[in-house]
Amino acid sequence: MFKSMYNWIDERLDVTPMWRDIADHEVPEHVNPAHHFSAFVYCFGGLTFFITVIQILSGMFLTMYYVPDIINAYYSVDYLQHQVAFGVIVRGMHHWGASLVIVMMFLHTLRVFFTGSYKAPREMNWVVGMLIFFVMLGLGFTGYLLPWDNKAYFATKVGMEIAGSVPWIGSYIKELLAGGTIVGAQTLTRFFAIHVFFLPGVLLTLLAAHFFMIRKQGISGPL
Amino acid sequence: MNHNEQHETAHKPIKRKEMTRRQFLSYTLGGATAFMGMGAVLPMLRFAVDPILTKKQAGAFVKVIEEAEVTKEPKQVAFKVHQVDGWYESDPKMEAYIAKGDDGKIFALSPVCKHLGCTISWGGEEAPNEYHCPCHGARYTKDGKNLKVAPKPLDEYEVKVENGWVYLGPLEPNTRV
Amino acid sequence: MAHGHGNRSNEKVVYVGDSRIRKPGPRPAPPDYTAFPGKSEAFIPNFLLKEWMAGVVVLVGFLVLTIAEPAPLGYPADPLNGSFIPMPDWYFLFIYQLLKYPYTSEDFIVLGTIGIPGIAFGALLLVPFLDTGKERRFYRRPITSSLMIVSLIASVYLTWVSWHHYTEELEKSGVVPEHIEREEKNKESIESGKGRWIPGKEKTVALVKPDDPAFEIMKKAQCIACHGGELEGGGAPSLRGIGDTLSKDELVDTITNGRANGAMPSFKGTLSEAEIDQVATWLSEQKAEAAE
Repeated sequence: MFKSMYNWIDERLDVTPMWRDIADHEVPEHVNPAHHFSAFVYCFGGLTFFITVIQILSGMFLTMYYVPDIINAYYSVDYLQHQVAFGVIVRGMHHWGASLVIVMMFLHTLRVFFTGSYKAPREMNWVVGMLIFFVMLGLGFTGYLLPWDNKAYFATKVGMEIAGSVPWIGSYIKELLAGGTIVGAQTLTRFFAIHVFFLPGVLLTLLAAHFFMIRKQGISGPL
Repeated sequence: MNHNEQHETAHKPIKRKEMTRRQFLSYTLGGATAFMGMGAVLPMLRFAVDPILTKKQAGAFVKVIEEAEVTKEPKQVAFKVHQVDGWYESDPKMEAYIAKGDDGKIFALSPVCKHLGCTISWGGEEAPNEYHCPCHGARYTKDGKNLKVAPKPLDEYEVKVENGWVYLGPLEPNTRV
Repeated sequence: MAHGHGNRSNEKVVYVGDSRIRKPGPRPAPPDYTAFPGKSEAFIPNFLLKEWMAGVVVLVGFLVLTIAEPAPLGYPADPLNGSFIPMPDWYFLFIYQLLKYPYTSEDFIVLGTIGIPGIAFGALLLVPFLDTGKERRFYRRPITSSLMIVSLIASVYLTWVSWHHYTEELEKSGVVPEHIEREEKNKESIESGKGRWIPGKEKTVALVKPDDPAFEIMKKAQCIACHGGELEGGGAPSLRGIGDTLSKDELVDTITNGRANGAMPSFKGTLSEAEIDQVATWLSEQKAEAAE
């Protein structure tokens, strides 16, 4: 059944080469933790991606209950965490996952750095990877405001002041981020939009580029 | 994976029944994938379907009008219901037409037309002694029986009479027609 | 299209479909690792399985963490809250701490916010173009590696100092972080049968005996500047129903000696002992039950 369906699609779209390219490519021994235990450092990239997927999924589910509004945001978070079944776990996944993704990405970056894997011809992939790092930090910063508790509010204010200290354009950046002159209702909706639509869009594009380049250039050789 | 299996078996002179190494790895990989997927997604699914699994609170009865004030002529009454909607609590206004039926029982009808949800009104010059809907001219009798346009009779509130007061509860389908 | 089918194979240039893109020749061979020592293996299923064993371990640990430690949630944002010590998420702490030093604040704030982080992150971003040698082993690239190690140590140090300051400050001021206090109050509320405690949604307790002269004393002593004109709270906690949590003696002590490291000042000189006693007596009568 599935086989004939697959064949029907394959005849028309020739999908086999696409997934076989991913599935069948050879992975060398020096990155394989089964051969050399120390090669587990090569897992951090994959784990970063895994946690990122968890972040995207849990984030999607959280927006089923969350409202980006200064009066209701806090109470909707309180409700989804304490009243909805498994709310503690889903919000916990998103909260702790945010930290874990930074940890994993940090370790991945250090691995690439100390094995010199960013060297020619992989310079572009390093740059894209660093951009992913910055986007992740941006996601962390914007996501922090959303529960609208004191911690969120004051940490965002501090962030705004930092942005405001940029010479010449600082006050414009600050006002643009805050959506006005105070951290308030318009800041929250703005941060929500950035956190949920803009940055994830950028992130997915960068991830696609990152993976495409890995596949195209292959893994860097053993030291 | 099908391609591979075919490929490998084609080269083997004797067909053995044991699993190939590749098959074994594939199954284990599938198992690990399923475990990871389920571990991450199941809590989220339970989280998402929570509304249909939580126990609905039985609708509370609201004190509306003194029993003595209810006559055979339907009377429009407004009342407030306390509603808890997740993190949002409110007291939305509701309306009902309360009357004493020919059998002497008190009943309360919802003023929402069963045709397309407009709000009906009692009597008036256009339709004396009938409920009339201004949108498409639906008509109902005093008991809420649909006469024109509407496909179903008007919904009824559950009614409770205690200590001389009329209490209204949740909506239910009309029981009088 | 239709007429092209028969003689397509004779054409020199073959296009993909109806586009102007030339049909590629055979796919270039994927990079092969025959030059590398050791065996290589297929990505699926062999290698991915090993990678996902690590994934399973991480996932299980992660789920245990989420179950054991609920995500923190403090009190609703209150711009007037003066006693709150703001802390960013841990991965921003190094920048937060960096801005506390003399050459990265005040007149030099630009150096702290843009200068140092800009140079550090700019260099990190452009590492492949700064370190262009062929050598990959880190111990053969002393400059690059040592710069990285120094910045790593600096970041870890800054993060640690920042956290250390924060915990010290909490201890000094006797403030319990909001998310912990909130959990405790919630637990208490549930245990005492009042149901879940949601900050900001509690029923406000009315003032008991608002005509009492003690209230006039409080107004004169400027208690209301922080505790609110109707003692409903503001910069300082609400005093409505305070009699439920503090006894009269505790109230006398708080008014006389202050609290929370001076956030609540001492009124020893401002009010006489008799006045303090009068105020404390009145406040200790502020009970939720009495207000009903």
